[in-house]
Amino acid sequence: MFAYYLQLGLRSLRRNPMLTALMVMAIGFGVAASMTTYSVFRATSRNPIPQKSDVLYMAQVDNWGPENTEKGEPPNALSYIDAMALMRAKKASRQTAIYPIGPSVIPEDAGRLPMRQGAYAVGADFFTMFDAPFIQGGPWTSEDDDKHASTIVIDRKLNEKLFNGGQSVGKQVNLDGRLFRVTGVIDEWNPQPRFFDVVNTGGFDDAPGVYIPYNRAIDLQLATNGNNNCSSDPGEGWDNYIRSECIWNAFWVELPTKAAAADYKRFLQGYASEQQRAGRFRWAPNVRLRGVMEWLDVQHVVPPESQISLAVAFGFLIICLVNTIGLLLAKFMRRAPEIGVRRALGASRRTIYAQFLIEAGTVGLAGGLLGLILTGIGVLGVGLVFPKDIARLATLDPSLVLLTLVVAIAASLIAAFYPTWRAAQVQPAWQLKSN
Amino acid sequence: MQIKPILAALRRHKAGTILIALQIALTLAIVCNALFIIQERVSRLSRTTGMDESNVIAIANRYVGPATVFGPTIKTDLAAIRNMAGVEDAYATNSYPLRNGGWSMGVRLIPDAKKEITSTTLYFVDDHALRTLGVKLIEGRNFNAGEVIMLDPRKSTALPQVIITKALAQKLFADGKSLGKTIYLSQEGKPSTVIGVVEKLQVPWVGTWAGSFDQHAVLLPATLDANYQNFLVRARPGQQEAVLKALPKLLIDTNRMRVIPEEGGVRSFEDVRRRAYETDRGMAILMGIVCAVLLAITAAGIVGLSSFWVGQRRKQIGVRRALGATKGDILSYFMTENFLIALGGVIVGSALAYGMNQWLLEQFEMQRLSLVYVITGVVALLLLGQAAVLAPALRASRVSPVEATRSV
Amino acid sequence: MLKMSHLAKVYRTEVVETYALRDFNINVKEGEFVAVTGPSGSGKTTFLTIAGLLETFTGGEYHLDGVEVSKLDDNARSRIRNEKIGFIFQAFNLIPDLNVFDNVEVPLRYRGMKAAERKQRIMDALERVGLASRAKHYPAELSGGQQQRVAIARALAGSPRLLLADEPTGNLDTQMARGVMELLEEIHREGATIVMVTHDPELAARAQRNVHVIDGQVVDLAEDPRFHAASHLADTAS
Repeated sequence: MFAYYLQLGLRSLRRNPMLTALMVMAIGFGVAASMTTYSVFRATSRNPIPQKSDVLYMAQVDNWGPENTEKGEPPNALSYIDAMALMRAKKASRQTAIYPIGPSVIPEDAGRLPMRQGAYAVGADFFTMFDAPFIQGGPWTSEDDDKHASTIVIDRKLNEKLFNGGQSVGKQVNLDGRLFRVTGVIDEWNPQPRFFDVVNTGGFDDAPGVYIPYNRAIDLQLATNGNNNCSSDPGEGWDNYIRSECIWNAFWVELPTKAAAADYKRFLQGYASEQQRAGRFRWAPNVRLRGVMEWLDVQHVVPPESQISLAVAFGFLIICLVNTIGLLLAKFMRRAPEIGVRRALGASRRTIYAQFLIEAGTVGLAGGLLGLILTGIGVLGVGLVFPKDIARLATLDPSLVLLTLVVAIAASLIAAFYPTWRAAQVQPAWQLKSN
Repeated sequence: MQIKPILAALRRHKAGTILIALQIALTLAIVCNALFIIQERVSRLSRTTGMDESNVIAIANRYVGPATVFGPTIKTDLAAIRNMAGVEDAYATNSYPLRNGGWSMGVRLIPDAKKEITSTTLYFVDDHALRTLGVKLIEGRNFNAGEVIMLDPRKSTALPQVIITKALAQKLFADGKSLGKTIYLSQEGKPSTVIGVVEKLQVPWVGTWAGSFDQHAVLLPATLDANYQNFLVRARPGQQEAVLKALPKLLIDTNRMRVIPEEGGVRSFEDVRRRAYETDRGMAILMGIVCAVLLAITAAGIVGLSSFWVGQRRKQIGVRRALGATKGDILSYFMTENFLIALGGVIVGSALAYGMNQWLLEQFEMQRLSLVYVITGVVALLLLGQAAVLAPALRASRVSPVEATRSV
Repeated sequence: MLKMSHLAKVYRTEVVETYALRDFNINVKEGEFVAVTGPSGSGKTTFLTIAGLLETFTGGEYHLDGVEVSKLDDNARSRIRNEKIGFIFQAFNLIPDLNVFDNVEVPLRYRGMKAAERKQRIMDALERVGLASRAKHYPAELSGGQQQRVAIARALAGSPRLLLADEPTGNLDTQMARGVMELLEEIHREGATIVMVTHDPELAARAQRNVHVIDGQVVDLAEDPRFHAASHLADTAS
């Protein structure tokens, strides 16, 4: 029966090529618009570390007070004092303070020019916490942290540039004239959005190539390469700077259970009230402990352009649907006499439903194929609207292809429901009599 | 003239009527907001910087190595650039308009006032800046070479002499007369005296968050003693291309211990502007495409449904003709019918447009939709409806009165 | 009132010319009730559509109320249909989307009449056909006979000089047909000119005068041998 209905559907679609073309175009454009914008939305709103996102938390401690913050939200970074205190407390199973630095790598070969590297000052736990994939060696140890050791982890790309991709563990890397010993090489690793440094990257940036111990970076007085915000003048010199309330550190913890997270939250509260008692904070404890996805949401990682265009595209799809409902209604009701005859010849309502829904499904499939082509063009054109860091994440992968077809067919079936119902209401006897 | 019977007939065709009206309503809502977004973006990207942008080149430079003092290096670099063939002038700075990164600060007239009067950007420059930027000094004087100092970036930012923009002067002083007056650039800070006023200079940021102070700039006579420096260079007319090509080599030859990014390290100001407004322009284009496709789809939908209606009503058109309706009567019947449906659609659509705008407003700091866009959209959709229904209506008017006597 | 002389109507296709009417002559006087009869395909319906200005003709002359109509443009023809002619169709041809009142109003609307006068005329016409109480009903809610009465009311509302009826009882059962016929006779008695096309001899007999059409021509009933044959057949059939 399905084959028969399909044949009927195709024949009917050929009979009104204009109307059919209109419907296919409406569905195609509607689906393509929503899928293109959805591809960007998906890229920007995805979970960068799905396997661990429920055990990783970003800690915030309000060291600025209600006068300098908005709507009770603590600053989006920590002062060195607080980051250091939390680090020393070691209350989580793993923890790391993080801040971006901007070193230049000076190759041993004096004939080659220095290279600028995206880099972070982090704790030893960083790599295990965030599942950084090592291809040689491993992270430095927490003893290295404690000893303020000059160790370094580099990525595959830098390893290729400096050591032609060979074994480099134990070798030295020159950052701005200072030597660091390689403990490990990680694969190209660039979780997007970059949840551990949303504040400075907006979530999207080229892969960093260098990681050095946080304590060593502080010793070397390496200032942050990201945002630095001060609520008051820190005074002169590095020592005053790191003792100030200027904020420039991220602090992440790994807490394996909900109970551990609750405990840690209490610990943060306790720390803040201690600071209040000590007279440093002149306000009630105001702390946050946020999971990966919540943190990305609070930091508005999804660009407004992506959200606006997704909303507009969704409206676009609805308009195309309404349009298709109208056209299908016209198409089906024009065939009222035919339906009457079929009904008189013994077709039940159900078979009328089947026939017309299959016809609509065929339109949906054709619309989906057109939509697929247009989505492909759209995805290529994403770079015109969105920054390249984001545009390159929007791709027409198999799941998007499948989704496009499913949405197109589902949309056309939804659109077909009312017109089909109307068609099934046609009375057999009434239509056989003269009109 | 025949509104009542048309409405009566439409009541018998609820589904079709609602579908067309709904489509028009939704299209109006989206088109209004899309037009509004286009306007907002276009007006943003057509702002001027106050500079004479042609022939300007921007360089992003980072010195490498263990050095902690950069003053002499910067001086050597600047001397080399200024001596280059085809270069008119150059200076080093922390930031410049459209760079999308820089230093913002609150300005006060009373040093310990809790609340700042407004925000401003700080440009650390020297006596060559005005000439290089092509900015017009309208009051007072430029810095002189002796006033320009090397400044530790972690030290207080307040300097004794500053040049400010006219917009900032007007914001700070009711009469706009700022020359010789004192302003404060930090809460604890020292006073700064305004020695000059420039006509206009934009902030580095193009986003909405800086929209409230996008013409507020303070120029300070200092070079930040830091490894990161931007050099702005003005080439002689016609020499920009050549200077742009020669600059990287010149800098590397002057001092190897530096990094100039391969991409975007040395770029013309046209390039700076293009990059700064890339997203705005893209958004405007996208919304333009959305509008065009939506209007086309809506028009096609109206043509399709109206044709169906005409086909369905051939007989009664024939009867009407037999009863004395002229071709004009039939034409105007369908045009009026479409107008009434579209009118219903645009009324609902206007409400939807404001609803959507409200949502955008809450989510994305957009402005309130102005009535002009709604009116434009309403007129456009009513006209679109009339244009789309014209062909089916003309076909209807050509139905012969004999149709009345034919049994279907 | 209605005078056609040597009227011809040719339907042309690419290959053949078909004469629907040929040398057609008829003269209907003011106040007459004429029945036009003939077998199907004889051209009687074509005659009616031309008489009602629904179609143009190919040759000859047609004077309606003293006006030669072949020179008139589409708008003028519409105006004449509207002001001088009332139509009654076999299939009633009420507009299904409009209720009884609005249906009767249609021709008055096209005349640009004031609302008060329209209402008066509509209610008078509906009163006349005995359906004033059904003014708010839709056609689908009425019986065939009632629908035809509404159609007659619509034809009468504009006070036409000429009433053209095309098989007015063709879609009705005997009972309803009789009622409609009586209504037409009553209207005629009040002074209207009626031209009715029918193939029903019984109905035709009730008119003042019969015109017989065969092969697109009016034939003299007394002289044409075909008529005798036909009437003979009719006799034997009854």
